[in-house]
Amino acid sequence: METIKLKLIYPKWNKLPGQTTFNLPPHGPVAFAATLPEYVDISFTDENVEAIDFDEECDLVALSMMLTTQVKRGWAIADEYHKRGKKVIAGGISTMLHAEEMVNHVDSVFLGESEGRSEQVILDWKNGCLKKIYNYMGNQPPIESVGPCRRDLYKRELYNHKGVQMVDLFNASRGCRFSCYPCAVSYLGGRKFRPRPVDKVVEDMAGIDNNRLFIVDNSLAQNKEWEKELFTAIAPLKKKWISHTIEDDPEVLDLAAKAGAWYVYQAVYDTSDYIKERVKRYHDYGIGVEGTILFGLDNQTEDDIKRLIDFLGEIDLDLAEFTIFAPFPHTKGHDDLLRQGRIFDFDWDHYNAGQVVYQPKNMTPEKLQDLYDYAWKSFYASETQESKMFRLFCNVALREMEEGTYRPRDRKLINKSFGRDVDRSKRNVNVRVQ
Amino acid sequence: MKVAPEYYDEIFPFKGEWDMESSCGLKIREVDGKKYVIVTELYQDNPGTSVTYAGKKLADQICEAKGFKLEDIIYLECTPNTNSKLSFYDEEYFQVDFFADIQHKYRQLSKEEVMKIVK
Repeated sequence: METIKLKLIYPKWNKLPGQTTFNLPPHGPVAFAATLPEYVDISFTDENVEAIDFDEECDLVALSMMLTTQVKRGWAIADEYHKRGKKVIAGGISTMLHAEEMVNHVDSVFLGESEGRSEQVILDWKNGCLKKIYNYMGNQPPIESVGPCRRDLYKRELYNHKGVQMVDLFNASRGCRFSCYPCAVSYLGGRKFRPRPVDKVVEDMAGIDNNRLFIVDNSLAQNKEWEKELFTAIAPLKKKWISHTIEDDPEVLDLAAKAGAWYVYQAVYDTSDYIKERVKRYHDYGIGVEGTILFGLDNQTEDDIKRLIDFLGEIDLDLAEFTIFAPFPHTKGHDDLLRQGRIFDFDWDHYNAGQVVYQPKNMTPEKLQDLYDYAWKSFYASETQESKMFRLFCNVALREMEEGTYRPRDRKLINKSFGRDVDRSKRNVNVRVQ
Repeated sequence: MKVAPEYYDEIFPFKGEWDMESSCGLKIREVDGKKYVIVTELYQDNPGTSVTYAGKKLADQICEAKGFKLEDIIYLECTPNTNSKLSFYDEEYFQVDFFADIQHKYRQLSKEEVMKIVK
């Protein structure tokens, strides 16, 4: 088979104002790339860290999109390539969420997971019979077929901040047995938790040229036995990792800590002792906690949010990230607000979880926006986010030094941040991981 | 989030968005000479598209399966009470007008209306 040149693009999105950005190497594009046959020669551009050269030679273009705030930019990119006579296919999470509109902007939409399926798309294109929709929603491939991502496509120097390499994203499972109110994961990845075989996870993880990972699974706390097996098996790799929730069980937390748990994202949804104890238990095992705090649900009043913000000062979080509820398509939240006529903004660029796009139940949109802004300012008033992150970084660096896995900063990149020169005349106030 | 069987007389399988295998609870009631079609969201037992997102596509499939005309029925969407601690899962009923604009498409039924039609 002759070589096909594929231009794979991860469109940029507008970052939240007032916050500096840490760009992580995106997972979706390289997971998709791994499913393509060898005769497809891939050139990858993450537009968040470099500009697209629209005149670069290619046969076919693929857009990989994760966020709702990427879709409009994706459509604009597709328009540019159409002017050049190129066909454009689109896939990824936000393609699935916005598929109804996406079909009007690209030549082909791929819905679902691509393992074992992407070659047919390439062959159809080659034979001039590219379908408008490749629909694999609700029809997931065997989890055993998920292999290592094509991380060789990353330009590593672009995911480096002042000599420090960013974490690599990693999936140990797919799907989610929970169906949380604001979340679309059960729609996207199915309501069944699908853990990858542990031996495959270990092999995949070991092959990543990075000692720091972000295990982006929706929640690891879905199957305790698998979780224990996983942590036991990855411990010898001596990787340090971030993840979402881990099972609240002493044995599991102990194994997680020994396996390199660095810090976890933990939802802080009320001011209960349970949350306080949950955070303490992570800390007892040396695991840091970044609180994720969602504002704007119908059960929250203005006073509730203020109390929640005050509460954060009592529970010793290492970091906090605040978001405003966004009614993403295919969530119950979207359906509820749509029926109630409360969504007033359908501009997908505004669905960045930092902007109010609907009428809250117990306050004005302006008040909710103010409370969100206040939360960021208040939590980071005494110590900036960058400074708090630096402390977490020091914790992990010390552990790595003890274990002999520490990699010093890359001195060549000490004056670079994500490919750009560092402006040392400015101090970053807030940093947001993207 | 199991939905109590009192909410439906039958499970109605349907083709959701992008033909995803989906299902909802279904009740049909005749009250004061009007035919009410009541679809209930099944949450964890609906493997595909929600009843709200499926909208008219679901209504058309029910009409075809039951031999109804869309213009002859009153179509209600139910989000059932799942006994969750979270208020987002309280019971609500909406009458849906598929031909109205988005602001007038849904009308929430009062408790009295629900009692009269459904209970």
